[in-house]
Amino acid sequence: MRLAPLFGIEAAAFLLIVAETYLLFNFVIPIGTIPHSLTGYTGLALLKLGSIIALAALWFVVMIGLTRLYVRAKIRTAPRPSS
Amino acid sequence: MVDGCLLLLSFVVPFLAVLVGLPPFLRFLTRKGKVSNDVHKSPPTKVPEPAGPLLFAAALTGEAVVAIGFGTWIPVAIMIGAGIAFVIGLFDDLYVLGGKAKPLLLLLAGIAFIAMVGFRPDLYQPVLTFPLLGDTAPHFIIYTALAVVAFPVVTNAFNMMDAFNGEISWFTLLTSIAMLLGVSLHAAFTSGFDIARVGATAPLVAVAGGFLIFNRYPSKAFDGDSGSLMFGAMFAGLSITGGVELAAMVAIVPAILNSFYTLSSVRGFVERRKMAARPTSIGSDGLLYASTEPGAPNTLIRLILLAGALNEKDLVKSLVYLTLVACIFSAAISILTWVP
Repeated sequence: MRLAPLFGIEAAAFLLIVAETYLLFNFVIPIGTIPHSLTGYTGLALLKLGSIIALAALWFVVMIGLTRLYVRAKIRTAPRPSS
Repeated sequence: MVDGCLLLLSFVVPFLAVLVGLPPFLRFLTRKGKVSNDVHKSPPTKVPEPAGPLLFAAALTGEAVVAIGFGTWIPVAIMIGAGIAFVIGLFDDLYVLGGKAKPLLLLLAGIAFIAMVGFRPDLYQPVLTFPLLGDTAPHFIIYTALAVVAFPVVTNAFNMMDAFNGEISWFTLLTSIAMLLGVSLHAAFTSGFDIARVGATAPLVAVAGGFLIFNRYPSKAFDGDSGSLMFGAMFAGLSITGGVELAAMVAIVPAILNSFYTLSSVRGFVERRKMAARPTSIGSDGLLYASTEPGAPNTLIRLILLAGALNEKDLVKSLVYLTLVACIFSAAISILTWVP
């Protein structure tokens, strides 16, 4: 039972990895056709890069949030070594 | 029948190579004074390190069986990537590399692996296959870039799971079995899938299984960075050639979380020997305690120990349970992806 919260964090990480990878390969990467101007090409590349960063940031934020919740709940009652 | 015998050989040969070769190699390391303190014992004991060279040689024998038996380049690509990671790890074992130099150098393993596409154009398919949803369209450039980056990410993740007795061997064994299941299902239900890709996965399972006998609590051998980086590079390469990237990524979620926690709490790549605060400490009762210092890195081990102090054996058992759950997720992904 002591591992139950960590199993929950693990499951959240797993679901986010699968969902975000699906979004990345099926929606972000195929966005648009290659434009025939430098500004259009740069804009498209930046849009894709921004989307990838946003997906990664979402994963980081969720994981950091869940971990902080866990640490906050446990640290006060965490045992300390007797010296 | 011949394929079955070759698959069996690709497991048995490296497994026996570890069982037979490791004891004399450990005696050799001890004679040469290559021993490390097992810092989680009180008082610390001396353990021969690094066993990585013998583990690499054993993996090489298994991949040679597959390369010669099936007449394929796939094991060559796997062992070139793993070989580069092994050499970087060995250099780190002997001279200690910087926290930033190691991941940068490990990119070379990914680049060399990908360069093998020149010899074997079907080394990998630049698509991901999702459970129930099927294949994505091919994306050669982005897939190849991610494959190169996967090597430093995965090898470092494996490296960070190498802190306690039996941790790396249990982790590699369980995750490689989950990957073997995925590759086997891929082979069983996909027409034209090369069975050599299943064979190439077996040596990783065999070497990790053989090493577990020596590395489990109380450890008689430490693999060193040469061993853990090689394990990670083999895992990354095999997941790409086996077309089971998603299932493999899910199986190593505990290691991904561990790396993420460490990197985010120490804010960057810092060599573990140079961390300002330790995530755990050992009490006078011999139990491991989570550090309650605010600056202590949030490793997975610290999170487990926050729920209560544990001895090393039970701590590794907790890590095995976390890995098992990830491997069950991975198996579910593999079954939903490949079984019609």
